[in-house]
Amino acid sequence: NLFRGNKDEIELSRFRDEYFEILLESDVSLETVEYILDMFQQKHVKQKRLKRTEAIESLKEILLEILLKAKPSVDLLNINRKPLVIMFIGINGTGKTTTIARLSYMLKNKGKSVVVAASDTFRAGAIEQIRYHGDELGIRVISQTMGSDPSAIAFDAIEHARARNLDFVLIDTAGRMQTNKNLMDEMKKIKRVAKPDMTFLTVDAMAASDAIEQATTFLKDIKFDGIVVNKLDTDARGGAIFSIAHMFKEPIYFLGVGQKMEELIPYDPQFIIKKIFG
Amino acid sequence: MALDNLSSSLRETFRKITGSSYIDKNVIKEMIRDIQRALLKADVNVKLTLDLSRKIEERSENEKPPAGMTPQDYILKIVYEELLAILGKSSNLKIQPQTIMLVGLYGQGKTTTAGKLARFFIKKGLSTGFVACDVHRPAAFEQLRTLSEQTGAKFFGIKGEKNPVKIFNQSIEELKDIQVKIVDTSGRDSLDSDLLDEITKLKKAVNPDEVLLVIDATVGQQAGPQAKSLMDATGLTGVIITKMDGTGKAGGALSAVAQTGVPVYMIGTGEHLEDFEIFSPKKFLGRLLGM
Ligand SMILES: Nc1nc2c(ncn2[C@@H]2O[C@H](COP(=O)(O)OP(=O)(O)OP(=O)(O)O)[C@@H](O)[C@H]2O)c(=O)[nH]1
Ligand SMILES: Nc1nc2c(ncn2[C@@H]2O[C@H](COP(=O)(O)OP(=O)(O)OP(=O)(O)O)[C@@H](O)[C@H]2O)c(=O)[nH]1
Ligand SMILES: [K+]
Ligand SMILES: [Mg+2]
Ligand SMILES: [Mg+2]
Repeated sequence: NLFRGNKDEIELSRFRDEYFEILLESDVSLETVEYILDMFQQKHVKQKRLKRTEAIESLKEILLEILLKAKPSVDLLNINRKPLVIMFIGINGTGKTTTIARLSYMLKNKGKSVVVAASDTFRAGAIEQIRYHGDELGIRVISQTMGSDPSAIAFDAIEHARARNLDFVLIDTAGRMQTNKNLMDEMKKIKRVAKPDMTFLTVDAMAASDAIEQATTFLKDIKFDGIVVNKLDTDARGGAIFSIAHMFKEPIYFLGVGQKMEELIPYDPQFIIKKIFG
Repeated sequence: MALDNLSSSLRETFRKITGSSYIDKNVIKEMIRDIQRALLKADVNVKLTLDLSRKIEERSENEKPPAGMTPQDYILKIVYEELLAILGKSSNLKIQPQTIMLVGLYGQGKTTTAGKLARFFIKKGLSTGFVACDVHRPAAFEQLRTLSEQTGAKFFGIKGEKNPVKIFNQSIEELKDIQVKIVDTSGRDSLDSDLLDEITKLKKAVNPDEVLLVIDATVGQQAGPQAKSLMDATGLTGVIITKMDGTGKAGGALSAVAQTGVPVYMIGTGEHLEDFEIFSPKKFLGRLLGM
């Protein structure tokens, strides 16, 4: 438990050393850890010692403040646009397809209508995977065969939604390494054709400093409006969320906390403090 | 490519050492600090980083370079040796009939790696088959079946069957003429005791020659604990690091290697089946340090 503590006084320099290690071990990036501990030091310039419980509360305040910077200010349910088209991007295996399934489920439960575009036409089994979810959820998935043009499928799904007056179009894309220019170009093409209202980047909570590299490159090359952090139910402590909140202005919309349909939750800083740090 | 940043910061440190006219405690301290930062930025486990730098520091202060070697070069040698020690033993997959089971976290590349391994063994002239024991992920069955069509590996799976042990047992007869069997399993983590229990049972039933941990280059500090729990549950024999084509620094994956003490056999360098390379710790480190 990161915030364990007692009423004994502690030397603040020792406290900082201790939390330097603990924060790094939670996958907060080195720069962000240094920023957090600098903030802490500035807050307590005049003090050499504090009760441990007080020091912990003070650090917690700083952490919470950082997390609050990543809170979204728009509610997806209250955007006046029909259909609202959301495209999902991210590196391989970060949970794009599962997020689309879980978000479809969430939207459907709120009385919204959804169509999904199976625009990952590259990975073996990708079309079957999203179709499986569609069948389970009773949600229409627009798909073609492996290897067909992902942009055309996205376009078809949007047409489908327009014709039937549906609320949401969710576009699944193939996992793409941000270092692969050809594949990134293909993703840009989907975006050009589909003109999504929003683009979400998915990242894996197990990833550490690389989550920042991913977000930096995707932001530069494709742009995104929001982030989803997945797999927070695993032993991942999700410290990368602090780095994301600290370094990007794009908010975190959802947290993936399991593979079940109800295991996508709205971003919640308190949850992260509790969930990640016990 | 993975590790480029680590590489450039370590090289910078090396340049500083070779450039300094004499070595004293302060130079060593500064070097240690630089190495620590470089490793931490590459997501190498914190404890491992501290252990490693302590060892390098001790050896640099206490050992005397052999005649004819400058202290500077001797320190570089120490750093090289200690980094090599965490990269693990050098060992490769054997080109012979065998059963290989793939295990690891969600979405790290197990199924894709099954495809890459099949292509690898088939090219070596060994008949290869898949057993589809991922009973959880939607369309894991279809994903592996598609990979069998792409590689020419034989496929065995039972759609809808939820017990992987049953699937494996039934595959034995079907794949009895196949030389290399590759068993794909579901993603799992150490907090899910049902899934750990499942993999322990499956491992018993399969009795594989190799249990390979598939872990991707982006994973951070929790890689070690994860690997340890899979080590305990299945007795890992080797590691495959995937997604080395991204910017992931592989520090987490390498920490998992250090923690389990098993060799890295192969690395994945892309989504395509041919994006697969044999791993050599010495070559890897050589490239990393520009030596
Ligand atoms: N435990 C857990 N697993 C998750 C979560 N989100 C996704 N997964 C799993 O991670 C794996 C990869 O998820 P996908 O949704 O296929 O990821 P993707 O980004 O679409 O992958 P590609 O299309 O191959 O790039 C699957 O096994 C999912 O079940 C989560 O929040 N928790
Ligand atoms: N760029 C790149 N992508 C890879 C590599 N290896 C696997 N992938 C991709 O990573 C994603 C996940 O791969 P899978 O093989 O489905 O991973 P898995 O471990 O079987 O996933 P689960 O069964 O859901 O736990 C896919 O998009 C793969 O194409 C690699 O070396 N480089
Ligand atoms: K090897
Ligand atoms: Mg997908
Ligand atoms: Mg799989």
